[in-house]
Amino acid sequence: MTKSVFRGLLIAAFFAVVAFALVPVYVPRPAFIPGFAPPPDMWPRLTAITGIGLSVIAAFLPPAVEPPIEGDGSPMARKIVRAVVLFAAFFLYLTLVPWIGFLASTILLTLAAIALTGERTRVLWALGIGVIGTILVMMFFQSALGTQFPAGQLVKLLGL
Amino acid sequence: MLNEILSALYAVATFQNLLIMIAGIWGGVLIGAVPGMTGTMAVTLALPFTYYMDPVPSILLLVALYKGSTYGGSVSAILIRTPGTASAACTALDGHPLAQQGKAGKALNMALYSSVIGDFISNISLIFFAAPLAILALKVGPPEYFMLMLFALTTVAGVSGNSLLLGLISAMLGLLLATVGEDMYGSFRFDFVPDMQSGLNVAPVLVGLFALPELIKLVVLRAAKTEQAAKLGDQKVTRAEFMGSLRSILRGSVIGSVLGAVPGIGPSAAAFFSYGEAQRSSKRGANFGKGELEGIAASESANNGACGATMIPLLALGVPGDVITGVMLGAFMIQGLTPGPLLFQTNIHEIYMLLIGMLVSSVLLFFAGKVTMRMFSKVALIPQTLLTPLVLMLCLIGIYSINSSMFDVAVLLVMGIVGFGMFLLNIPTAPFLIAFILGPMLEENLRRALAMSRGDLSVLLSSPITWIFSVLIVLIIAMTVRREVQKSKDRKAHS
Repeated sequence: MTKSVFRGLLIAAFFAVVAFALVPVYVPRPAFIPGFAPPPDMWPRLTAITGIGLSVIAAFLPPAVEPPIEGDGSPMARKIVRAVVLFAAFFLYLTLVPWIGFLASTILLTLAAIALTGERTRVLWALGIGVIGTILVMMFFQSALGTQFPAGQLVKLLGL
Repeated sequence: MLNEILSALYAVATFQNLLIMIAGIWGGVLIGAVPGMTGTMAVTLALPFTYYMDPVPSILLLVALYKGSTYGGSVSAILIRTPGTASAACTALDGHPLAQQGKAGKALNMALYSSVIGDFISNISLIFFAAPLAILALKVGPPEYFMLMLFALTTVAGVSGNSLLLGLISAMLGLLLATVGEDMYGSFRFDFVPDMQSGLNVAPVLVGLFALPELIKLVVLRAAKTEQAAKLGDQKVTRAEFMGSLRSILRGSVIGSVLGAVPGIGPSAAAFFSYGEAQRSSKRGANFGKGELEGIAASESANNGACGATMIPLLALGVPGDVITGVMLGAFMIQGLTPGPLLFQTNIHEIYMLLIGMLVSSVLLFFAGKVTMRMFSKVALIPQTLLTPLVLMLCLIGIYSINSSMFDVAVLLVMGIVGFGMFLLNIPTAPFLIAFILGPMLEENLRRALAMSRGDLSVLLSSPITWIFSVLIVLIIAMTVRREVQKSKDRKAHS
């Protein structure tokens, strides 16, 4: 299967799920619609069905140029592992914020992101950006703009 | 009249007013340059301070913040491919490739010159065309609005990436995402979680789509491991380069001024539209997206060109053109001034002061841009392995602070993953974004038009304006298809 066929069919499948599975369930039609106003599902359905048509055409009409995806030459399996680890870090971040607070979670995610980019030589800079940088930026937002960041349940329990 | 103008000029030219404008412009540039911090945020944050100021300085401060942040968006768009504001998304398309070629300084200078010229022309248009243009905009009905936005969307889809089809698919995805939340009649759509009932905010979607994929690419592909963040490098825009882009700058300024005057369109759509027009008509159209100065000129002249023009319907009719002018409307009210036709009769002195102040702020934008450019060049010293996580951290904090919402942060991260997926599949992100921004207006106008016509679709071709836009849409599609076929033939001939 070529890239264009895969891409076209994948997106067509997405639009099909939206048009025929999600719209009927998650876009309820109100019992009464004033005048001749089209119902709320008209636009998402129209968009999704147009998307299906365009995606199917795109599957069989590839673009003139498909730019290559550059990388460091690592095997595909390693790239997938890197992606999974990063996405897991994102998920963990969202899970951790209510527990350890916004500050600690953001420091951890920033440090994890630096480590995942392969940075190993500038440890002090990494710590500076990850820890001090995060604290300073949050302090600015907190004091100058009045943003209240979540403290976290554990932090509150420990009385920090 | 001359006496009134001179009196207003004298009133504006005080140390206090100049200081306020300088602070506004410079603060706006800095805020606009930080990913996740938008012009709306800058203006909203400054609003409480205006309680303690006189009417004209307070509005000048807000206008200066607006202008500064609109230009500031281009700084991060060029240096780190992270548009600080939605209106700088097109600037990133050519600005960042230029930065990678060691011409970041040149790109920033072109962005600055185009912004200042666009801004100046926009202010002039505000002075001369406020009433007539606003009246014309008011006469445009839902069918015309719908066709105008459809035209803008088609243009964007046609000029982004390598394929009109992929551009249109991207636009469809953006339109679909824009349907999340409450519709115009109060129905909730795709509200999988309660936070989705109010829809998805533009800022997390924009920043997620443009900023985070850079980090994900770096982590997964490690393609830029040895690459440094953009250095200022070659800075001078030569006379030939400037003259080569002048047509696009002037056209972008006019597009910005006209579209900015139409309520609801704003700088983002103006920038995309101008970029598309420049690519279509330029001899170097094929270079757009690969590092073409003219692309930056078209985008920046239009987005700053829209800034002054958004004040046209606000001042003349009391109708805010976008969110920022909506905040400004609040500022006027705080000061006891009611924008609208009566304002030109009862507060003409304040109107003249405001118009003169806006012209002065165009000049100040130039100097603020020059100073900030040198400051931001320090970004070039940071390696990408440190810079992109730093951007992630700024995005997380910036996005959270807009609404104090962890849902927005989740949207940011998810959109980052979506953006990376689109990169892998070679689907352009610009049509997605502009469709997401225009989507609610597009739908609202279509539904209003259909409601007005009792469901008759021919209402979309019921006036000369809708016919003009229909013909333009067909022309754009035909020309884009022709260009793609030609490109395909050339490629086959080369191979």
